[in-house]
Amino acid sequence: MKEAKKKKTPEISIGVSISALGAFSVYLITGLFLAVGFWVIHNIYFVDLISDPSLTLRLLWIIEFPIVVIIYSLLRRNPEKCSYFRAVGRSIVGLISGALINAFGAVSLGAPIGMQSLPRTIHWSFLMSVFTVVPATAVFGASWTDWHRVFASLKPTGNIEYMILIPAYGAIIGAWFGAWPMPLDWERPWQEWPVCVCYGAIGGCIVGQIVSLSLMILLRKHKNLKLA
Amino acid sequence: METYLNNKKLIALGFLLIHSIAILIFTRGFLLTRTELPFHSTCSDVSLSPCFASQHPNHDSSSEPKPWMDKLTILQKLAFANRSSAKIFKAFADPPTTSLQRLKGLTTGGLPTFIDVGNSFGAPAIVEDNFINQLVLNGKRLVMMGDDTWTQLFPNQFQKSYPFPSFNVKDLDTVDNGCIEHLFPTLYEDDWDVLIAHFLGVDHAGHIYGVDSSPMINKLEQYNSVLEKVINILESQAGPGGLHENTMLIVMGDHGQTLNGDHGGGTAEEVETTMFAMSTKKHTTLVPPEFDTSSCKQNTDGKQICISSIDLILRQHCQLCLGYHFLSEGAFIGHINPELYALGSSSWNLDDSGLGNFGTQSAAKEWMKHFVNVLCVNAWQVKRYIDVYSNSSVVGFSSDDMSRISDLYSAAEQNWSNSVKHILMDKNGDEGSTDISALLKEQIAAYLNFFSSVVELARSKWTEFNLNLMITGFGILVISLILQFLAVFHGDKSYAVGSWLSTGAAFSLFIVTIRACSFLSNSYILEEGKVANFLLATTGLIKLRYSVMRKTMRKEAFIFLAMVSVLRVSIDIGLTKQAATSQFMSSSPSWMLGIAPDHPALTYAVEIAPILSVVILICVLYIAISKAPSEGLWKYVTIGSMVMTGGRNRIPQTVYVIGLVQLCLLASTRMFCAGKDKNWAIRTVALVSACSSPVVLMSGKQGSMLALAHLVAGYCIMRLEGVERRTQSDGQSKFSKLNPLCVVQWSLLSICMFFASGHWCAFDGLRYGAAFVGFDEFVLVRQAILLTIETFGFSIILSVFGLPLLVPIHSQTPQAHGEKRHQLFQMYMLFGVISATTVTATILCVTIQRRHLMVWGLFAPKFVFDVVGLILTDLLICLASAYYL
Repeated sequence: MKEAKKKKTPEISIGVSISALGAFSVYLITGLFLAVGFWVIHNIYFVDLISDPSLTLRLLWIIEFPIVVIIYSLLRRNPEKCSYFRAVGRSIVGLISGALINAFGAVSLGAPIGMQSLPRTIHWSFLMSVFTVVPATAVFGASWTDWHRVFASLKPTGNIEYMILIPAYGAIIGAWFGAWPMPLDWERPWQEWPVCVCYGAIGGCIVGQIVSLSLMILLRKHKNLKLA
Repeated sequence: METYLNNKKLIALGFLLIHSIAILIFTRGFLLTRTELPFHSTCSDVSLSPCFASQHPNHDSSSEPKPWMDKLTILQKLAFANRSSAKIFKAFADPPTTSLQRLKGLTTGGLPTFIDVGNSFGAPAIVEDNFINQLVLNGKRLVMMGDDTWTQLFPNQFQKSYPFPSFNVKDLDTVDNGCIEHLFPTLYEDDWDVLIAHFLGVDHAGHIYGVDSSPMINKLEQYNSVLEKVINILESQAGPGGLHENTMLIVMGDHGQTLNGDHGGGTAEEVETTMFAMSTKKHTTLVPPEFDTSSCKQNTDGKQICISSIDLILRQHCQLCLGYHFLSEGAFIGHINPELYALGSSSWNLDDSGLGNFGTQSAAKEWMKHFVNVLCVNAWQVKRYIDVYSNSSVVGFSSDDMSRISDLYSAAEQNWSNSVKHILMDKNGDEGSTDISALLKEQIAAYLNFFSSVVELARSKWTEFNLNLMITGFGILVISLILQFLAVFHGDKSYAVGSWLSTGAAFSLFIVTIRACSFLSNSYILEEGKVANFLLATTGLIKLRYSVMRKTMRKEAFIFLAMVSVLRVSIDIGLTKQAATSQFMSSSPSWMLGIAPDHPALTYAVEIAPILSVVILICVLYIAISKAPSEGLWKYVTIGSMVMTGGRNRIPQTVYVIGLVQLCLLASTRMFCAGKDKNWAIRTVALVSACSSPVVLMSGKQGSMLALAHLVAGYCIMRLEGVERRTQSDGQSKFSKLNPLCVVQWSLLSICMFFASGHWCAFDGLRYGAAFVGFDEFVLVRQAILLTIETFGFSIILSVFGLPLLVPIHSQTPQAHGEKRHQLFQMYMLFGVISATTVTATILCVTIQRRHLMVWGLFAPKFVFDVVGLILTDLLICLASAYYL
């Protein structure tokens, strides 16, 4: 029974598969919205990440979250069994739980705790959750085997899973590297938590997107060669 | 097999020796030590008429780099207007150019070194003979205002003091305004002889805004007006019988600043300062022109000549008595810069001997006579200091240098007694003859020669690093590192280089490398605990990923991360403690949760939590023992219960005694029934618990909680050990191979424990109080041992002894036992390699940064802590491998 189920899923996933060009446009849209978010914050609220991190982060994830949910819910697994709104609903749950996990990780890695940095940590972890967990929950839902296969075993199949896995890991690794300049005594405002970590995460996410795109193209060529 | 293992014990011993030698060599090149002499001179040492003119050193950070110079216009104006009574000099300070070291140098006359081996146990108060102390001994009344470093250095000497905190670098005005407020009223009073006003605003403005900033310029302009007012007051009172008839004003900076406004290092901008001296007395003394510029390069505008700060310094080594002291002050400067002496001595002359109106010709000669006289006594002082120092110090001067110095001195002295003395004695002698002045000049040259060679010797001894020794030590350490690395994999046939090596070992190598490289930056050293915690949490996250992948031990991985979070909170608390005293860190209690510290619930929690954790610890120990009943280990349990009852002296002492007895017991059982006892875990538990009770006891309230956190985290590491390969490699090799990642984790955990238990790598981070748990009186060796146990208890002692718990093999066959021993040896070697790597990195960084701004404040304490830790680790590894293998 289990075997059958396992076999079944890849077939369906091929059904909603996406080309490299599609992936690129998805990245473009999400990136565009991120840029729009920055623009809105800069020109309407007149703040930026350095002067008011918590407001900026809140606006960023609020702007970014819907577009990510809308796009990735279209790419959801088992589209006939799981309605679009269910995918949206579960990604909201995913947002919150992902934020919790990210916050836990950040605190254990040394993020400041305390009242004045609490809102920043919260909004930062929401943003991280949008980058990492939300696409996966929208696509996979609560399917533990898929989560395990993609995130833990690093065995993605199909372009969608590349799109989920590599930018998510990129964001985490980028944030990890982004924390490095924090202890330095340059006394720059961007060394504050979580400014440089945010930059690192966004940068890592973009690098991950590029890597995933090139992987998709490479693998397709590889497949074509194989088929030939 | 037995010989092989014996060899292994010897290997551990060998590395201990190699490391000790390497560190010894490096330390000889790097840590410059100078012994403080507790002797004080008295007036009776030299019979000389005490003659003193009220003196007024007005210390003031006035650094004048180019674009910002010409702000203190009043000084230039004065120096130009009356060239005989006011002069500007260029002074050189010796690095480290930090205020505390500079003040120490200025007042004691010593060269500042990193370790001043003194009698004081932590307090910075000066025990050496010094200028201020001599002033007090001679009944002079001292008033101090400004920087509170002065009151730290001289807690009791000042009759009146108005100290202001120098901590807050961002505060430009408190100290200065306080100074100004008290300075002007004091100038109109006559209840003082020496007044010291230490302004700080320029220093702080430089630190915060840089040299090229408007606050800096404002500060300088403010100083200019203050100086103008001071000089006006002095001049208005300078008439005969006035308050400031014989006052001398000295304005000087204790160090310069770089263009960024920082200081502490040895660059030209930092060491060069200005010195302005002015006497209120009008006089006509002219200095013979050949001394005017002797041994000094004329500056472009021709009015600045250099005096070296070491010369300001050397003179005071053996100050004799105050009246004389003043003379010697003239002399020391005079030996490079006779003009200042002229300035000072003129007022004295007028006062004492009534030689008020002597003509230029005789005045010059008179001046030279005094100058030679002063140089003679000064030379005698310096010679005496050098003799006493080399006799009493552990690391004195070499005999070659000493004999060279003695030759110079005796030559000068002979010249003195032969020819010059009788000229000076003969007051009514032929005043016009030129050969007298030639003789005097010759004599002066001889003394100057003597002084400069002493200065050179002292400088090479106290302030210059011996780079050859440092590089040799570093090289030996690197070689030992390679050897140790080979030893880890020795006897480990090719099977060690399996597939996991590429991931697990590469990752551990990466972590260790990052940590090693992080020491290159002073900021990472300051936050070392956080860095270690960050890396530990990273390994925890990796483990979590693996455990999720293998679907085992997820709980342990989560608990491990939670424990890491607990430790990081503890590290944060430690950092705030450090920030309270450190001059490099800004205190930011950002971690505070907003609970009032004296909230009753919190106080109860603080009281109850340690007791609870002790109870849990006891339970854990009990379970560990009852699971595997062995020879009567019950008594270990009882010790834990005694720990927290914390009586005055008896109970701690009992704990120490019981701990010692346990250790002896364990050692003796190991000796007499060797090899029989195969049960590893029990032995480890016994040893660790025996060691832990004193450690927990000494680290106070948080000790038991930390011990619990350590235990839990260690347990998680043990359980998670090998989680990444459990499923793939159980087929071929029954005995799993050495896993470097878990040893790295264990070592990172031990470093985190060091910081979490409230320590940091600075000497004010030592808990001197812990050395007196259980004892009231001070015995150096005993208290040093206790202090070492307290400092490195969690991080090194427990970690090294607890390492066998990580050995993953649990089968009891003899073959498995042999394998276990081999693996344990490998783990110990690996642990040693990791510690040695960090120490090597520290040493490399210290070598590179030896002229860094913070080398004495930050890198050197870090170096000392690391080195002591490494030696201790090696020693304990030796003991542990003797005990376990």
